[in-house]
Amino acid sequence: MTRIRKPHLLAGAALTALMPLSAAAQTELTLWHMEQPPHRVERVQTLLDEFNESHPDIVVKQEPQNWGEVYAKAPAALAAGVGPDMLFAIPDFTPILKSVGALTSVQDFVEELDGEHDFIDSAVEAYSYDDGIWAVPLYNMSMNLWYRPSVLDAAGVAVPTTWEEWAAAAETLTADGAYGMGLPANKQLYTDQTVYSVMANGGASEIYNEDGTLRFDNPETVEAYTFYNDMLQFSPPDAPSWTWGEAEACFASASCGMILQFSVISTYDTQAEGDAADLGVAAIPSKDSEGHNTIAYANAVMLLSQDEEKMEASKTFVRWLLQPENYGRFLNMEPGLFMPVTADGAKADSFWSDPMVEKYKPQIETVIENSQNGMLFGFTSGRVFPAIAAISAQNVLAETLQAIAINGKDPAEAVAAGQARMMDLTD
Amino acid sequence: MKLPRTLLPYAFIGPAILFLAALLVWPLVQAVVLSLQDVRSVGTTGKWVGLDNYREVLTDGTFWSSTWLSLVWVVTNAVLQTVLALLAALALNQNFPGVRIARTWIVLTWIIPTVVVVMIWRWLFSTSGGIVNPLLIQAGIIDRPVGFFARPNTAFATLVFINSWRWFPFITLMMLAGLTRIPGDLYEAARIDGAGPWKRFSRITWPLLAPTLGVLLVIGTLLSFNVFDIIWLMTSGGPAGGTRTLPVLIYETAFKSYRMSEAAAVAVLATLFLMGFAVVATRWLARPPEAR
Amino acid sequence: MKRPIRWTVALTAALALFAGLVLLPFWLVLTGSVKAPAEIIARQPTMVPHSFTLDHYAKLLAASDYPVYMMNSLIVASVSTLITLLLAIPAGYAFFRMSFPGRETLYRAILLAYAFPSIVILIPLFGIFAKIGLIDSRIALVLVNVAFALPFAVWLLRSFFAGIPAEIEEAARLDGGSPFIVLRRIMIPLVAPGIAAVAVFAFVTAWTEYVFASVMILSDAKRTVPVGFSGIIGQYQIDWGLLLAGASLSILPVVVLFAFVGRWFVAGLTEGAVK
Repeated sequence: MTRIRKPHLLAGAALTALMPLSAAAQTELTLWHMEQPPHRVERVQTLLDEFNESHPDIVVKQEPQNWGEVYAKAPAALAAGVGPDMLFAIPDFTPILKSVGALTSVQDFVEELDGEHDFIDSAVEAYSYDDGIWAVPLYNMSMNLWYRPSVLDAAGVAVPTTWEEWAAAAETLTADGAYGMGLPANKQLYTDQTVYSVMANGGASEIYNEDGTLRFDNPETVEAYTFYNDMLQFSPPDAPSWTWGEAEACFASASCGMILQFSVISTYDTQAEGDAADLGVAAIPSKDSEGHNTIAYANAVMLLSQDEEKMEASKTFVRWLLQPENYGRFLNMEPGLFMPVTADGAKADSFWSDPMVEKYKPQIETVIENSQNGMLFGFTSGRVFPAIAAISAQNVLAETLQAIAINGKDPAEAVAAGQARMMDLTD
Repeated sequence: MKLPRTLLPYAFIGPAILFLAALLVWPLVQAVVLSLQDVRSVGTTGKWVGLDNYREVLTDGTFWSSTWLSLVWVVTNAVLQTVLALLAALALNQNFPGVRIARTWIVLTWIIPTVVVVMIWRWLFSTSGGIVNPLLIQAGIIDRPVGFFARPNTAFATLVFINSWRWFPFITLMMLAGLTRIPGDLYEAARIDGAGPWKRFSRITWPLLAPTLGVLLVIGTLLSFNVFDIIWLMTSGGPAGGTRTLPVLIYETAFKSYRMSEAAAVAVLATLFLMGFAVVATRWLARPPEAR
Repeated sequence: MKRPIRWTVALTAALALFAGLVLLPFWLVLTGSVKAPAEIIARQPTMVPHSFTLDHYAKLLAASDYPVYMMNSLIVASVSTLITLLLAIPAGYAFFRMSFPGRETLYRAILLAYAFPSIVILIPLFGIFAKIGLIDSRIALVLVNVAFALPFAVWLLRSFFAGIPAEIEEAARLDGGSPFIVLRRIMIPLVAPGIAAVAVFAFVTAWTEYVFASVMILSDAKRTVPVGFSGIIGQYQIDWGLLLAGASLSILPVVVLFAFVGRWFVAGLTEGAVK
């Protein structure tokens, strides 16, 4: 891989040599991302140092932010003219910045990169609407079912593929103070994700009709919610306040037999047994075992600079980041969590050579395979309606679940109320 | 330069007043302006809509349920903190070895950042490694782990506990101040008259402490009404809106629903409520010292 | 003083209860921060660590700028305290030792500021600070913290000033002291316990403030401890060991500080807080 890259480096060096640069002519870029855990920040810094080293005319610095605050902070900072030049995003976040006029389409740039690296289509789709592409896909995350083969064997259950098997397995595993299936019911993004994962496996993946009207209120959705609510009895009592971390802790401490999570690999490796042979991952069971779906989050980077020079520099940085020999190391800031969105990235040595990735290779291969069927509510089948941002910002999917699981509402009523709420939010 | 005597007091209080005007009053004026427009996200502009936002807010059930929750929040916090603080203050008002250390370090819970408080209790109440469930099971109070944040009522009660845990030591010290000011010979005289401990408490301590309690109640109310970070970081107002007090509603409306103007309207109404309470209550606090 | 046995028992029980209530969580956090990850999340928690590791601290200090956050917090809290005192002491002196038209109205206005729902001004203040270039600066945090601490500080000073006999002030004034000199030479030493209490209150207010710091500060190098701490919580994964180490370290400085000034704070509060 490195050999292919060399001409680029040379060209870059030649270009740098040709341009008379002083320190004052450096373009300074600020990158905001929400990968705040210290080791991720450290990995990003390593990459930035390398980039800055090889590009003397550009200086990129990172300012890690928090997902909880960035929704308030980013629009305010941009309005005040103190925002970043590059900002990481998930699909629901992009329409918010687009609505405050902070984004310009990067369609040409994405097409250029697609030609070179071949993006996964669904990753690009999540950012394509209103005649433009509004961010550059960077990494993928998709939900999977995690378990311990030894625990399933001991209980005499097979890895579930249908809802029926899933419920039976969860029931069997709920014994001796352990819980069969850890599922959240918090009014929070994690619950949106798990609820949608179940919906997508029950024929309710579409929230919108083709004409943009809502079709959330349908029998499949109701059935998915009913099933999810039934499964909650096999979940720990504090599940209504869970975020991802509690689910992982539950799995790592073997209190939960199975959980739905993007990846538990690093937690399992550092906080639990760390025995690669006893970590199982499977596609999320579907209603009738025909075709497993999952929720997939294509994370991306938005280019926000209004200044042409800075915009060019940002593109230079993104180009550099997506080069296979850098890209794999970027993804491995959290090994086993972030999956490649490009075809050459999926094959990159820099990705597969990480010790953690090597150790859990079969699991990661399964995760990548499952993510091929990834979809995201409001961003499916080319029916992308940016109004979904308001719906997911308010966690309406999770809110609907709480109406059933906590307030004891009838699922059909709750789903109807959920659709009314969605309409209200997007009017 | 020499200031005329009559202007001197204003020179002394001027900086403080100007500071508060710039940092609190001016932004409040801007919030009022915002509440009369239809701004959605931060940084966009809106047009004037008069009192529409207020109409919308006042006819919305969420606002009233939040107002109710805020009221319950303030009252339950006041009760729990007063009880805890009174007990602690009475205990710390006794003489025992180490009383000074105890008096100093009881405020430990108050001097740590709220984010840390939240994280600590989130862990302690969780079913993964938390101590609370096993302790309660051992004590025979529950027979299987419970989810403290799983139901609106228990989540609310748990938050009241956490917030009171953080604030009661501070109130304790203020009460201790009231207690130490009660002359010891009053107790001595009562003892000679043969009054038992309960009688001494109800006849001397309580009546003399009551004014202090009144003042603390006012302060406590204002302090706990404004509590936002503990609730937001712990439950984000959930489950099912069961802990969505007014400050949480304001934040949620502004930054989750992206209705800045509506949030501003809620904020202005909340300010009015609180100011109304404060105006009545400060009659008490504001009596000039000489007049007492 | 003699106490009947049953009261001693009751007192001991109450003290044990409060000691447990206050200290147990801290004990668990401190011991938790040196437990191995699996023990931290074990289904049966342990009161005394069965394992010992300093990995969490090593990771925290190696990979995050915790010392920087701490420095920032100390700077912000100290400066906030100083400015609060500079504004509150003269104001308290004027309010409680001088009479002038409008005194009561102004005093009540200050108390009303205490009743302010702080969340109300988050957005407008962000806009104002942005206009004058204060976003992402520690000055912004100082200003906010002073605004929140000041009303209570003025109120707290009230009984201290009120408790000074008029003759002392009168004598000083007859000796030809200007009000500034009277304030500095006579008043400040006399209300010292009150000043200590106000100082600690202002410091703690600033030290613990989270919401404004989280929105107003953009760059990592200027974060305070609460914001830095919330940063290591992480989105998709929680590393409890790291969090417990972070919690322990953010408790430490105030505990050290309090070991020195705690006595005065308590003395200050209990001597003059409420009348």
